Amino acid sequence: MKITDLFSQGAYVLTSEVGPVKGCVRDLGDGATPQCLQEAELLRNHVHAINVTDNQSAVMRLGSLAASVKLKERGIEPIYQITCRDRNRIALQSELLNACSLGIDNVLVLTGDHTTLGDHRSAKPVFDLDSVQLLKIADGMKKGHDLVGHDLSQATDFALGAVVNPNFEPLDLQIIKMQKKIDAGAQFFQTQTVYDPALFEKFIRKTEGFGVPIQLGVVLVKSERMARFMNENVAGITVPDGWVKRLQGAPKGGAKELCVEMTAELLGKLAPMCQGVHFMPLGWSDIVPGIIAASLNGNARRA
Amino acid sequence: MIGTAKKPEAEILEAVGKYQKIIVAGCNGCAKACKTGGDAQVAEMADHLRKHGKEVVLEVTPERTCYINHTMAGLEGKDEELKASDAILVLGCGGAVQVMRQATEEKGLTIPIKIGLDSVGHMDTVVAGALAIEQCQECGECVLNETGGICPVTKCAKSLMNGPCGGAENGKCEVDRDRDCAWILIYDRLKALGELDSLSAYHEPKDYEKSNKPRSLRLS
Repeated sequence: MKITDLFSQGAYVLTSEVGPVKGCVRDLGDGATPQCLQEAELLRNHVHAINVTDNQSAVMRLGSLAASVKLKERGIEPIYQITCRDRNRIALQSELLNACSLGIDNVLVLTGDHTTLGDHRSAKPVFDLDSVQLLKIADGMKKGHDLVGHDLSQATDFALGAVVNPNFEPLDLQIIKMQKKIDAGAQFFQTQTVYDPALFEKFIRKTEGFGVPIQLGVVLVKSERMARFMNENVAGITVPDGWVKRLQGAPKGGAKELCVEMTAELLGKLAPMCQGVHFMPLGWSDIVPGIIAASLNGNARRA
Repeated sequence: MIGTAKKPEAEILEAVGKYQKIIVAGCNGCAKACKTGGDAQVAEMADHLRKHGKEVVLEVTPERTCYINHTMAGLEGKDEELKASDAILVLGCGGAVQVMRQATEEKGLTIPIKIGLDSVGHMDTVVAGALAIEQCQECGECVLNETGGICPVTKCAKSLMNGPCGGAENGKCEVDRDRDCAWILIYDRLKALGELDSLSAYHEPKDYEKSNKPRSLRLS
């Protein structure tokens, strides 16, 4: 299922995200389900699709393609993330052929976090292509040819997504790049997490004429410590002061309940401005259904 | 210039460990500018080696050790010292070491050539005598005409060609919070020049065939 079909049917598209495990997920016949697949199971029937990250934060893990295929086998729709950090143009194109051959319908193209932010800091960062170039090449492969113009015996067939950071300053520079991504073939966008309604509104006003669906990205804030960390370390993101105070006063064991409450309040304000929501639960997939129920009135199932 | 930094002393001593009679050769070009291989650093290294029981048979600092004629000129009349030496320690870039090897081979000598520096890139001195930074990677297809004279290939940690990633914070790069995001610098510069339009142009993937190694340049 392509999530672009859902957008064209007018669905409010809900997605979430899982990070593959550091290890294999081969079925050893012991009935054990790897954590990333367990997390995805918690979201079954609550979201339309689940992003599978590509060695997120440059930390070496199970590949996003293998994990995406495992989700697909379980009847959960994956959005296969592919970054430019670790592979050159030959490997990236080949990987897209692999993905299509293995039944992947949705691809999200990203630049990727730099190697020096991860757990293999001495690795050679590749970045042979940037995300705009990879989108354009991926779009060409849907039309049946590779980067150098050679025909593919069978074209790929993907919904191509991209990301944008509404917190970026200067915003116009980020929007110029967003336009380039659309020109290159991006059909939908997921945003970096946003907590500021005025900022998101400004971003939506500037981009609503672009004619591509946008999903608001939301990272679940799990603790006061995480809120402070994000404020200090994550580009342009400001967790509202009110949240920090509320998390400070959270009773022991009550953080999840509070997270549901605060996120639902946020979505009440932001969700109506765009065409969907993308959750980044960072391990708290279990509370995503509660947030959806509390704020989005089961919009996912309306599709 | 080619930036160089001194190797740890223990590594240098290990590299020349089995040799007794040493020639210390510097470079009065880039290594002098980096204060790693000029006359002063050559003398300092010679003293250091002597303190560790080595015999320094010659100290020499060619005008530019990466240029074969200068290196040959530096060694002129020094055949005796060359023949007496067990090894040459070069305080220059990796190119200087290899040109020194070529020079000794052209003289019919087989002498181990060791390096006392690490080469750390093509550097521009932006604060005289104090700071040099990398601003050009010699990629072979310069885009500075379209990017306001600021190189994204070098100054963007990811060498992005079509605009910034989303990782900058307060104008700083996600890789180093003390360094400006190259694309924000480009944006500001193009805005000041009234050329923001050029940001919308799509840049094709770079042609790495132009920078496949090793490259060469015909000078005549």
